[in-house]
Amino acid sequence: MAASGAGVPMRREVLQLYRSLLRVTRQFCDYNIREYSKRRTMDAFRDNKNLRDPSQLSAAFSHGKAQLEVAKRQSLLYSLYPPKVKSIMDF
Amino acid sequence: EGFEVTYLPVGSDGLIDLDRLVKEIRPDTGLVSVMAVNNEIGVVQPVEEIGKICKEFNVPFHTDAAQALGKIKVDVEKWNVSLMSLSGHKIYGPKGVGALYLRRRPRIRVEPQMNGGGQERGIRSGTVPTPLVVGMGAACELAMKEMEYDENRIKGLQERLLNGIREKIDGVVVNGSMDRRYVGNLNLSFAYVEGESLLMGLKEVAVSSGSACTSASLEPSYVLRALGVDEDMAHTSIRFGIGRFTTEEEIDRAVELTVKQVEKLREMSPLYEMVKEGIDIKQIQWAQH
Repeated sequence: MAASGAGVPMRREVLQLYRSLLRVTRQFCDYNIREYSKRRTMDAFRDNKNLRDPSQLSAAFSHGKAQLEVAKRQSLLYSLYPPKVKSIMDF
Repeated sequence: EGFEVTYLPVGSDGLIDLDRLVKEIRPDTGLVSVMAVNNEIGVVQPVEEIGKICKEFNVPFHTDAAQALGKIKVDVEKWNVSLMSLSGHKIYGPKGVGALYLRRRPRIRVEPQMNGGGQERGIRSGTVPTPLVVGMGAACELAMKEMEYDENRIKGLQERLLNGIREKIDGVVVNGSMDRRYVGNLNLSFAYVEGESLLMGLKEVAVSSGSACTSASLEPSYVLRALGVDEDMAHTSIRFGIGRFTTEEEIDRAVELTVKQVEKLREMSPLYEMVKEGIDIKQIQWAQH
């Protein structure tokens, strides 16, 4: 499956993806997973900010979108059985 | 039936003496088994060199790479391993699944642990737990991609932890070699403080004295004893584990709690009082009543 219809993302789309990812990761109930996903998102977007090659850009963008789907699904699943005790760092 | 086992000693840095290994290999040696990364002190054994020695003497080499997978580069060709034990939950995969790598060329032959349906060429009878295995595969894939990112981050966190603690208290000893180690495992001994009491005071920090595998016994860890650590320092060791999901705030909190607890215990300790007065505790003649 070539290009999967993503094409080269526009700046607006990239920012939208970034914001969506951060919004979803805020919903994780577990402290460590929440912090990790926030940090990993920020680091990944920062590391890729100087990409110029179109195939690399669209690959990174598709990867980001796939991760967004994973995050949405997982945050739903985790909230179905939330832990009864919060992490000590959440107090 | 049975086998003779030769245990190799380790140096005070936790590393195997390679010359001793060469000396101990006999013509009838069936297997050399060395753990790649130690779970208690985090030391990385010189597996490549051991692999070379085993190749020279044509002895199969087994390594327990459960703590090495996804954390340091594992190359079965470079290491010349014939057998390698792997664990799923150590790389953030599901619990209850592991793997044993068996080399194909030259083929290593094993006897099955359980007999039954003869799956996997008679070696592992039984049904594969598909969700667990897929989970472990996905975890391995991720670990490969994230290894460099994780390592850099964890190295920084380890330094933050060690420096944070050393800034506030003295008498802190790192057990095991500082150069050949996995960054996410830090085993510290605090002089004049007892390990279990330290643990009881560190209720908010998930640390262990010794390792989880030896939690049943009260003996000081065999690993530390092998390093030649004094009994009193061995009793006081605790192991900090840092992983992919550890945050800076957690490290800072751990430093704060550890320092507070160590200071509190030392204040209560008559031994520490004597040390501060300049008495050498090893010279004390304890009276017998």
